[in-house]
Amino acid sequence: MNAVEVLNIKKKFPSVTALDDISFSIGEGEIFGFLGPNGAGKTTTIRILTGITQPTSGTAKIFGHDIRTETIAARQSMGIVHETSNVYDDLTPWQNLMFTAELYHVGKGEREKKSVELLKIFDLYERRNDKVRGFSKGMKRRLTLAMGLVNSPKLLFLDEPTSGLDVQSNLIIRDVINDLASTGVTVFLTTHNIEEANLMCDRVAIINHGIIAAIDTPHRLKGTIQSVQSIEVSFDNSSVDNLSLVSLLSGVNDAKKVGDRYKLYTDNLPLVIEEVMGFAQKNGLKVQSITTLGPSLEDVFIKITGLERTGVIIHAID
Amino acid sequence: MLSIKVQRLITRIPAELAAGWAIARKDMMIYYLKPNIIVSGILFPLFMFLAFAIGRNEDPEALIPGLIAITILFSASSIEPVSIPIERRVKTFDRLLSAPISMNTLVFGESLSGFLYSLVIALIPLGIGVIVYHTQVFHIVFLSIAILLTSFCFATLGTLFAAYPTENVGEVMSMLNLVRLPLIFISGVFIPISTMPLIGQIIALLSPLTYANDLIQYSYGGSSHFTPVLDLIILIIFILVFQAGADKLYRKFNE
Repeated sequence: MNAVEVLNIKKKFPSVTALDDISFSIGEGEIFGFLGPNGAGKTTTIRILTGITQPTSGTAKIFGHDIRTETIAARQSMGIVHETSNVYDDLTPWQNLMFTAELYHVGKGEREKKSVELLKIFDLYERRNDKVRGFSKGMKRRLTLAMGLVNSPKLLFLDEPTSGLDVQSNLIIRDVINDLASTGVTVFLTTHNIEEANLMCDRVAIINHGIIAAIDTPHRLKGTIQSVQSIEVSFDNSSVDNLSLVSLLSGVNDAKKVGDRYKLYTDNLPLVIEEVMGFAQKNGLKVQSITTLGPSLEDVFIKITGLERTGVIIHAID
Repeated sequence: MLSIKVQRLITRIPAELAAGWAIARKDMMIYYLKPNIIVSGILFPLFMFLAFAIGRNEDPEALIPGLIAITILFSASSIEPVSIPIERRVKTFDRLLSAPISMNTLVFGESLSGFLYSLVIALIPLGIGVIVYHTQVFHIVFLSIAILLTSFCFATLGTLFAAYPTENVGEVMSMLNLVRLPLIFISGVFIPISTMPLIGQIIALLSPLTYANDLIQYSYGGSSHFTPVLDLIILIIFILVFQAGADKLYRKFNE
């Protein structure tokens, strides 16, 4: 049985069609990434799959339970980590966990045992009796994830779990997600961090304007745009910004600066390598490193969604 | 033979009640001592009452039931119009909307906190009556039932108004006061229903406070405009209507 089955879901609001006939399924134990620009329909999809919002038409099943007609049974097997760290600031981590567990009908002994375990995993045990109000953003995010896991869900919805977090929280959360996958928990992950999706997800769906534009493994998605290739080059004098100059070289379709390196996109690698070497010689620069790269998941995303690359930041990716 | 659906529903009742109680406990821990709840739930009805009572030389046994009724109206209906918009703003309300509980349980749990709050607050005018004015209660059972039903009725009214999809406490409170304040004047709290003009008497029939006040008056004085049983039945009907209305509105506004 699939963990999630979505069939021909449409969601229309008075002024906009948020989801237009989307269908996909997620197998048990799969980590499924859901990528899309702002307003693409990611949050609406999560709200429908968790039964908060009703679709205009179509069906969604969670472990065989129709989310519309068997909402409670469907929700019982899921944990939800919302995009915002929606914890109760006036309660302690312990009280937050107990309350969430009670909403999910977890017995007293079990919820206490699970809460101790989660507080230790997320490095919050020492602060379990402090009001959440004074916690950092990372601590609140970790607590949010712990609350999503307190009912030992078979399916976990994660909406931007690591967005804007410190390194420690990021590492803890990624480790936990990987551990969950190894124990057979299905993870539905929306993220703006494409590299995170690339590394963690078994499959990725790219949604744009309410339509699933692509759905496959990251590896296969990258294979669909083999024509997009790039080289990364670094020069000895990294303090001088040569981006505008290298972007004018013959064969370079697009360029961006990544740290002390320049990433040049092309469909003619030999020409660009030759041009780069000539550029270095002409400007008295030494090439410190040069690497040829295949398309990244980010390239796939940009190509599918029609977004534009601007400097080192991809805009409008939520 | 009960259908499988009904059997499932029955087996779920303890879990739903426990979840409702958890929601109420959470509200108690977070909201009971918030300044705007104290002002709206305790001080406002007290000042309102004093404004009408001072200088009128009324019999305390006629005043105390009215004070109890309006205190319950304001205290019971003050928790959810504060807590729910706040929870919408900080997104904790999404936790409740996505939990494996029915919408009726969510409404019940939210109302339960207002109900328990007003039970405690109702002791203040009750105590003032007994200690300061030496008022006597003739029907303690009716008074107890009246306080329980009135509290739950107005707590559910507060939850109903809080269904309005806003993150602004002031917006809900304004709408609620648009209803609560006129209720005081049309429900026989300060002006007996029998002395009202006919149109006033007809309007009074639409107010749950009319029946709450009538029942509490009966508990104190032994006489009522309607019969106590009718008051009880109509209060129960109001509770069911508010509960069903809230259930429907929360569903509708989450579309």
